[in-house]
Formats: sequence, C-alpha cells, structure tokens
Amino acid sequence: MKPLLKFFLKHYLKFLTNFVIYIHHPVVIAIAGSTNKTFTKQAIIRILTDHDISFRANPNSFNTEIGLPLAILNLPSGYHSHRKWLPIILKSFVRIFKKFPKYLILELGISDKSDMKYLLKLIKPSIAVITDITQRYLDSFSGMDELADEYGYLIKKINKNGLILLNNDNNRIISFINDARAQIITFGFSPTSDYRANKITKYSHGQKFEVITKGKINEYQIPYFGRHHIYSFLAALIINSYVDKTEKI
Amino acid sequence: MFNRTKDLRLSIIKQMELRAAQYPDVISLAQGIPSFDTPPGIKRRVENALKRGVVAKYSLSPGLPELRELIEISLSKDNMFYDWQTEILVTAGSIEGISATILAITDPGDEIIVPEPTYTSYREVIIMAGCKPVFVSLDEAKRWSLDIDKIQKAITARTKAIFFCNPNNPTGIIFSKNDLIRLGDIAKKNNIFLISDEVYKDFIYNDKDYKDEKSILFSLAEMPEYRERMIRIFSFSKAYAMTGWRVGYLHSDESIVREITKIHDSLVTCAPVISQYAAMGALEMAQDDVLYFKNEFHKRRDMMCARLDRHQGKISYVKPDSAYYVFPKFNYKSKYSDKNYPNSNSWNFALELLDIAQIALVPGFAFGPSGENHLRLSFGRSEKDINDAFDRLDIFISKYL
Repeated sequence: MKPLLKFFLKHYLKFLTNFVIYIHHPVVIAIAGSTNKTFTKQAIIRILTDHDISFRANPNSFNTEIGLPLAILNLPSGYHSHRKWLPIILKSFVRIFKKFPKYLILELGISDKSDMKYLLKLIKPSIAVITDITQRYLDSFSGMDELADEYGYLIKKINKNGLILLNNDNNRIISFINDARAQIITFGFSPTSDYRANKITKYSHGQKFEVITKGKINEYQIPYFGRHHIYSFLAALIINSYVDKTEKI
Repeated sequence: MFNRTKDLRLSIIKQMELRAAQYPDVISLAQGIPSFDTPPGIKRRVENALKRGVVAKYSLSPGLPELRELIEISLSKDNMFYDWQTEILVTAGSIEGISATILAITDPGDEIIVPEPTYTSYREVIIMAGCKPVFVSLDEAKRWSLDIDKIQKAITARTKAIFFCNPNNPTGIIFSKNDLIRLGDIAKKNNIFLISDEVYKDFIYNDKDYKDEKSILFSLAEMPEYRERMIRIFSFSKAYAMTGWRVGYLHSDESIVREITKIHDSLVTCAPVISQYAAMGALEMAQDDVLYFKNEFHKRRDMMCARLDRHQGKISYVKPDSAYYVFPKFNYKSKYSDKNYPNSNSWNFALELLDIAQIALVPGFAFGPSGENHLRLSFGRSEKDINDAFDRLDIFISKYL
C-alpha cells in the first residue's frame, strides 16, 4: 500500500472507530498472544452464541492497525487497490449509526514494537485474554523482554473493573501478574491454575478431560485435537462464567 | 547398477513437453499449469518476509508454526479437525508429501491400489519405494466413478494402501460421497491406509443441478472414524497459481504424521521457508483470487467442451466437474509407431498431432492402462491458446478422423 494512502486510512479509520465505540460502548474482549488467538476467539464465540448475545469478531487476518478498525466497523479491505478503497471509505461513515453488537471479540496482532500501544488507542478492552507468548514474530524486537512488554502493556491498560485471563503455564505471562489492576483468572494445566485441565484422553472424535475450579471437578469433551484447544476451552469457560454473572441482570 | 531407477520413467508429460520444445509454433495444452501468475497479495507477503530477514534459516521440520496454525484454521472451515502441532506437515509440493507418505507407510514388496486413470507420477513414486502399483480401472461408462467391487477384489495380503486423486486428474471427476465411504470401510476392514490427493478441490464448476460445493465435494478426512488410516494431501500449486514455489501440506492422525515427518526431514529438512511465507499469504489474502481463477476456468471448460462437441461421433468425453482437464476418447488408429512406446495408440496419436498440427497434448496411457485411446487437454491455458489449438485440431480431425 502506498504510504500516503496508508497514512490517510490509518487516521481516518481510527477516528471512525473511536467514534463508533464512544457511541455504542460495546464490551470489548481482546485476545492477544503469539499463538492460539483464533481458536480462543472461536471458543468464546460459541459461548456468546449459546447465550444469544450479539457480538462481532474480527477475521483472523484483520488484527492490525488497518484490519482491526475495518473489522470493528464491519467493512471489507481494499488491500492494495486505490479503486477498491474508494467505495469502502464512502460507505464507512454510515456504519457509525448502524445497529451495533453488544460484544466485540477481537484478536490483536503484534508484529512490531508499539503495535499494542497503537491498537489500544482504537479500543478500550474490559476483558483481556493472553493465550501464549513464544518466539514467534520476535524478528522486529530486541529480544523476548521487549516482545513480552507488548503484552504487559495490555495487562496494565485493563482498568480495575475489568478481567484478565492468563495462561498459567507460560512463565512470561505469569510474570505480569503484579502489574495488573484488574481481577486475574488463570487457566492451564499447572496445579495453581484457577481453571485447571486434567486427565486428558484423546479418542477418535476428539478429546476428553476434566476441569477443576474451586475444588469442583467437571468433565468435558470437545471435537478438536491438540492441547491448544483445551486452553481455548478453559478461557471460554471463564468467559461463560463472566457472562452468566453479568448478563443475568 | 541403477536397480532402483531402472523401471522408473521420466514423466510422459515431461517427455511430451521436451519433444514439443523442438517445434517453434507449438501450442501446448499438455502441462497442468495455470495460465495465471501468483496473486499480488502473496508476492507482497513474500517481499515483506524478505525485508524482515526471516527467510534465510531453516524452519522447524514440519513447517513454520504460524503457517501450520493457519492451515488448521483453513481445514476447520472444511469440517476437518487436525492438530497443527502434531498432525499437519508442510511439504515441498504435494509430490514430496506423497513420496514421504509412501516411504513411511510401506515396506518394499508391498502393493498399493491405484484407481486409474490417475496422476502420472504416482506410479513412479510407488516403484521408487520398491512397491508395486496395482491399477484398478475407473468406470468410464459411469462417469469415471470408482469401481468398488474391483478394488475389493484387488486387495491381497500385501496391500498397504489405496491411493486416489479426488477431484481426479485427468478426468476432472469428483468421486461420490457414497463410494468414498464404501472405500473407507474397505480400508477399515482390511486394515490398510487411504491416501487422498485433493489438490484440485478449489476448482469445482458448480453447475445449477448442484445445491452447493459441499454437496458434491467430500473428503474422508472429514470423518473422524477414518483419521487413523487417512492421509490427505494438498498443494498450493494449482489453487493459488504457485506451481514454481513448491509448497503443499498433508495431514493425518498424529500416529501417522510422526512417521512421515521422519522421512520428510531426511528428504528435504523442511519446505522452502520463503515458499512457506507465500503459503501464509495465500491462506490469508488470496481467497478472491482463487474465486477469480475458478470462474475463468469454468468459462474455459465450457468453451473447450463446446469445441469438442463439434466432433460428436469422432470424439466422446465425460464433462469434467473439477480440475482443468478434459479427457476425451478418440476413435482413431494412429499411423505412427514410435520406438519408445510402439504399442500405445495414444502416444503415437499425440506424436502425430504434434508433428502435423503442432499441438502438444498428453497421451492417455500416461495416466494408466484405462487411459489408452484418450488424450488429456488442459484448459488451464489461456482462451487464446485453447482456441488456436482447437482451430488446428478441427483441421486435423476433418482431414484424418
């Protein structure tokens, strides 16, 4: 994309997004991490669908400075074509006054320093999920500390009435606990997790496992393979409990 | 000396291309190459990866984690659920995936049942692995469908797998869900593997008698009960106009992929990393391009079939539902007798066409014994190439057939 077009789009879309969020003030669930954002988002979508709650989620590649606002405004991308961008820009303003969903479930993509800072100028999440931190996309950072700081910034920005969901099996993530102002709920396989998965068995149609929360044990099965789906499921269970509490009123 | 290679042959398609290269005015409808260039979004993804300096090093042997995760997401949209960490392997094109699979699941002397006509290189890979291809003909009278009874009868104590291409190259036919499930049950009953090469799955020409694509295209990989014996192969080459990038993937149960990965690691270490970034660009940004290609191929298929219809009585064919090939049968006995394959009428006919009309087509025998007397015509080429080739073919047919 030409730098001038990108500059214009970035600022124009930011203005519209801020305005839309100011008018409709949706509950924003931000999902960040090196891996497993999409499956976590899908697991949360299943919870909101079960509760019959309106939501909008971003397609997995719409998670950066241009893509994220497009997803929030429910607009397609013109990619690198000036011709395709023109009708999108023209109809974008109308989106402000269209019916808006109650929840936004947004993956946040981080590939450069300060990406998180910029994305959080667009949205003010009340719930954050950190799925994982690995060396993926490390190339633009001076090291793991600088990369992890991006996620640390998100944790700091969740205000005290919010909720933070952390993968308890990742040391980098857990090291942020003291920086948080909001309530933290941890999930994972390690014994100290608030939502702890245990006794996983793979069978021909998926995985079976138990989840231990506050001393209670429940059994679940999911039609997906791989440990990452268990993490997604645990995060979604926490959201389920949050929605049960907040949406009852 | 050369015991392993003595029964291998250079692909008939490539032999044809080599010969065609000697004719300056030749029009080739031989190779299965889309006429399009790789979509610009994919190229930009690669340029970005180059600038960031992330393509110079090996990736993990099964492939970049971010690509495998994208593949899992893409598969889940097609109702296939596989763990990217243990069940998806990025390969150097589909043929490397096929080679690694066959080397992993067989012992020398094993037999692999191959419904044919089918993609030419399967035979070579099976022989290279020291195994025996057992060809079982598809039923041309029933729109080239699987002949399940014949396949059942071909199973012996040495049978290790049934290996098929769906949608099929060269016939362009999609096997029915019913037949595939029967095939799956045969595999289960006899404890053998299934290898399904599905590289043309994105080009389905949805004529109005079909409700939607999912109602005609089905993969056994969608059914969990077959996952422990089913290996599904895919390539970015055809769908995304990326034949030169050499990147594809396979997926199966963890217990099988673990073994295939050992062979893959010793063959290529990993798929080319720059091409893995191209594959990410394909999955993230090129869905509109695939749709455009499909619509273009659909038009070209109809155009090619209309040209073939002018020669009813001399040529018969089954209209393809997928891929970019038509596989007509010609009522013609060639006057040529080339020393390489003197008894193959389709080979000699193809040489005759090349000599007289300067059109390069693939002789049907390249795809198996049932392909004899057929020629494969690719509508992956441009409309102009197709029309020019048919102008020449019309003259040949009116003179000689």
